Amino acid sequence: MKYFYIGIFLIFLGGLISTAFAEKLKAKIVSLFSGLGMVFVLIPALNVLFTGNTISKNIYFPEPIGKVNFLIDPLSAFFILVISVMCFIGTIYAIGYIKPYLNKNKLTSSHFFFLSVLITSMLLVVTVQNALFFLIVWEMMSLSSFFLVIFENEKKEVISAGINYLITMHISILFIIAGFIILTLKSGNLDFASFKQVFELNNSLANMIFIFLFIGFGIKAGFVPFHTWLPKAHPAAPSHVSGIMSGVMIKTGIYGILRILSLMSIPSVEISYFVLIISVISALFGVLYAIAQHDLKRLLAYHSVENIGIIGIGIGIGMLGLAYHNNLIAILGFSGGILHILNHSIFKELLFFAAGAVYNKTHTKNIEKLGGLIKTMPYTAAFFLIGSVAITGLPPLNGFISEFLIYLGMLHNFEIKSPVVLIISVLAIASLAFVGTMALLCFTKAFSVVFLGNPRSEEAESVKEEVSPIMLIPMGILALFTFLIGLFPQYALFLVKNPVYTIISMKETVKALDCHVASLLAMTGKAGLCFIGLFLLIYALRTLLLKNKNVCSYKTWDCGYQTGNNRMQYTASSYASPFLSFLKPFFVKEFDTKKPKGLFPKEAHFELHIHDIFEFYLINPVINANKKFLEQFYWIQSGSTQQYILYGLVFLIIALVGTIF
Amino acid sequence: MLEILLNIIFLLTFPFLFIGIINKTKAFWAGRKGASVFQPFYDFIKLLKKGEVISATTSFVFAISPSLTFASVVFAGLLVPVFNHRAILSFEGSFILFAYILALGKFFSLIAAMDTGSSFEGMGASREASFSTLVEPAFFIIMASIIALSGNYTFQSLSLILQNSGSFGYLIIILSVFALFIMMLVEGCRVPVDDPNTHLELTMIHEVMVLDNSGSDLAFILYGSGMKMVILASLIANLIIPADLSLFYSVIAFVGIIFILAIIIGTLESSFARLRMTHVFEFIFTMSSISLIILSLTMISMNKHGG
Repeated sequence: MKYFYIGIFLIFLGGLISTAFAEKLKAKIVSLFSGLGMVFVLIPALNVLFTGNTISKNIYFPEPIGKVNFLIDPLSAFFILVISVMCFIGTIYAIGYIKPYLNKNKLTSSHFFFLSVLITSMLLVVTVQNALFFLIVWEMMSLSSFFLVIFENEKKEVISAGINYLITMHISILFIIAGFIILTLKSGNLDFASFKQVFELNNSLANMIFIFLFIGFGIKAGFVPFHTWLPKAHPAAPSHVSGIMSGVMIKTGIYGILRILSLMSIPSVEISYFVLIISVISALFGVLYAIAQHDLKRLLAYHSVENIGIIGIGIGIGMLGLAYHNNLIAILGFSGGILHILNHSIFKELLFFAAGAVYNKTHTKNIEKLGGLIKTMPYTAAFFLIGSVAITGLPPLNGFISEFLIYLGMLHNFEIKSPVVLIISVLAIASLAFVGTMALLCFTKAFSVVFLGNPRSEEAESVKEEVSPIMLIPMGILALFTFLIGLFPQYALFLVKNPVYTIISMKETVKALDCHVASLLAMTGKAGLCFIGLFLLIYALRTLLLKNKNVCSYKTWDCGYQTGNNRMQYTASSYASPFLSFLKPFFVKEFDTKKPKGLFPKEAHFELHIHDIFEFYLINPVINANKKFLEQFYWIQSGSTQQYILYGLVFLIIALVGTIF
Repeated sequence: MLEILLNIIFLLTFPFLFIGIINKTKAFWAGRKGASVFQPFYDFIKLLKKGEVISATTSFVFAISPSLTFASVVFAGLLVPVFNHRAILSFEGSFILFAYILALGKFFSLIAAMDTGSSFEGMGASREASFSTLVEPAFFIIMASIIALSGNYTFQSLSLILQNSGSFGYLIIILSVFALFIMMLVEGCRVPVDDPNTHLELTMIHEVMVLDNSGSDLAFILYGSGMKMVILASLIANLIIPADLSLFYSVIAFVGIIFILAIIIGTLESSFARLRMTHVFEFIFTMSSISLIILSLTMISMNKHGG
């Protein structure tokens, strides 16, 4: 535990020291210290993760917090691993990404300070076992990430996205507080361990508390319909921050849900269905809206919603397994879900970093303006391609492994022999397959419109060279991870084995089942290797066949029409159009058109905005109603100082009168 | 050993024969003599001997994609049981790997089409991507229902439907055969979804995606798409052939079913026109609805027998 404190202290110290140094050194110092801190926090974390023991220590704070229990159990250790490694990689990337922003009167000092605060608070969130202290570090995490989001604060949309994020996070903490208050009142203690008895006491109350906490944590994680902050905040933030937020920070919401589950011995069937259904809806709508996006980072943000849904499906299946006392289903579901947390953090960071590299060079996030970047930025393109294949869940990369486990969990659900479970599982399987094919559509669109073909605008054409190696190296490491987990999944299972036991809390009976899962994964890993071998063989055959033959380069087949230009290429909108027109009812479309008029038309203009139905029909009406109510009180804020002094006076008098009685 | 050898020979030779028989059937209905059934093989050899013309717009994606797509189809073939219901690579949940490895091939063929920067090829890619989104969920519903019925998690489950389900099993088999046949038409890009003989770029789906491919790359693409159809036809044959047939008879039955399917496709192509592009979604939806019927039948029969 000592090492853990030292590590956390080092990461925080890095942020503090960096404020004193010159602008170009700040990122390097934060990166160095978070690297050192990572080593220190990983010593106890890896120890716990592999042995399955737990380390715990109490620290006494002044009232009202009191005794705070810091605990590293395998579940915390897994999250410490994800947070520390992924954030360290993010800070390396930040060194390169921040360069164009230096010496332009930007608030880089506070940016890097809050970056280290964010990492520190996330590490604390996953170890603290005291409800009040948890809320404090949770709030620290939300606030520091808010400051990171509004880095480009001269832009109006960045500020509005930041405010939106801030408000949403406070709605989230409201639900968490509500849940914790009930728990504390019932157990008489702020300690998480004492909450266990509440969950065991009363079923309907436990379900209610779980749903409160699920909503609270779900807002952070981005489950539909609480996802609306994600597609706003991620595009506004600088890319290393979006990578860390989407790859790591939203997972703390999942951590919260898993922690609650570890306190509940057996979840009820109803809440298992609740989690499963919400997750399926999140996965479906996340990817559906991603297809409609033209902003590369917005598209990736919607994919976070999808992947959180997939993680949730895994968790929901695991809960069903627990509820029906079937350990194999529980193991498959939870290990699929937890492994997907790691996998998603890897490929989502990779994709955000590659998108950041594109933005860094072209200064546009609109994919309709890009194209042909594979020739000037070949490494970024290759990394984006690897990330795309991984996020689509295709073998032989890591995304397939976790989805495979989740599929297997759903197939084993048939052993429960209940018609309801059968129907729900089959529909969930079909939905996951549908999500997979939609993701394929979405990422073939994103990759090919950004990187392939010819440049569609001057911005894309003006790119002359690849981004600096300091930005490419982190992407390379992440790409390597996707291959390692994809090809040797049986070892990745080691990482999630003990965290799963923490939730299931039945060790001995499940060992045999675990071997079964490991051997199955080893099989898929070998299949992946075989496939790569087969591909290399066929490619070698092709090279051999083309040797000594006439291979010439010519322009693309143009059907005899020789005066085409680059803007006549297929665009992202046209690529997605057949599919979107088929799913019309799920979108709110807003057209902004000006038709060409007369014999010699001068101006014409067409714009299409696609809105999220959840935001349009669910969130906005609530906000508007709220606004209307609060408008009644506008007159209080008159702007004249005298009146404010009067308010103060009135308040003081009321307070005085109040104390007398 | 003999089975594995037969399996591989089947996988490598039948794609040519399958396409050859379809073309021969079409020639018969048109009153022509038609090319020999081995013509696709001669074409393949001819293409392998040729050089290539590669568009200057393209990148490494275009160069690796045909090989990768072909590798994915061959690999998918190794997962599918041929004769005697045993696949070369068989494990729990292998149908998931089967579907996803084919999706990987599709991913690369789509981006290779977009790599040329041509609007025609982009159009083809967009259509192919949109249509295939609907096929996969239906396929997963069918496979999941069959697995639920047979209690076997490998592809062997296809032949074990009758064991646990009684008379409902026959109904489920018939419906599954029909649904998989639709899947074969969609994935193989045959009439009424797509017409492989069309000569107008605007109406093509799959053909337009490979406009810029030539030489050995084109050979791999054509061979691969033939192989994909044979693999899907094998799934159908697995459904029909009973589990306890001896190797000799099952080989005969298997080959017979594959040939019959080829003849049916050829006859269909001679008697139907392709659908309008907007109606293709509706056609694919028949597969989804059949898969839901299979699911409900599965539930009823499990309640009756297993539950």
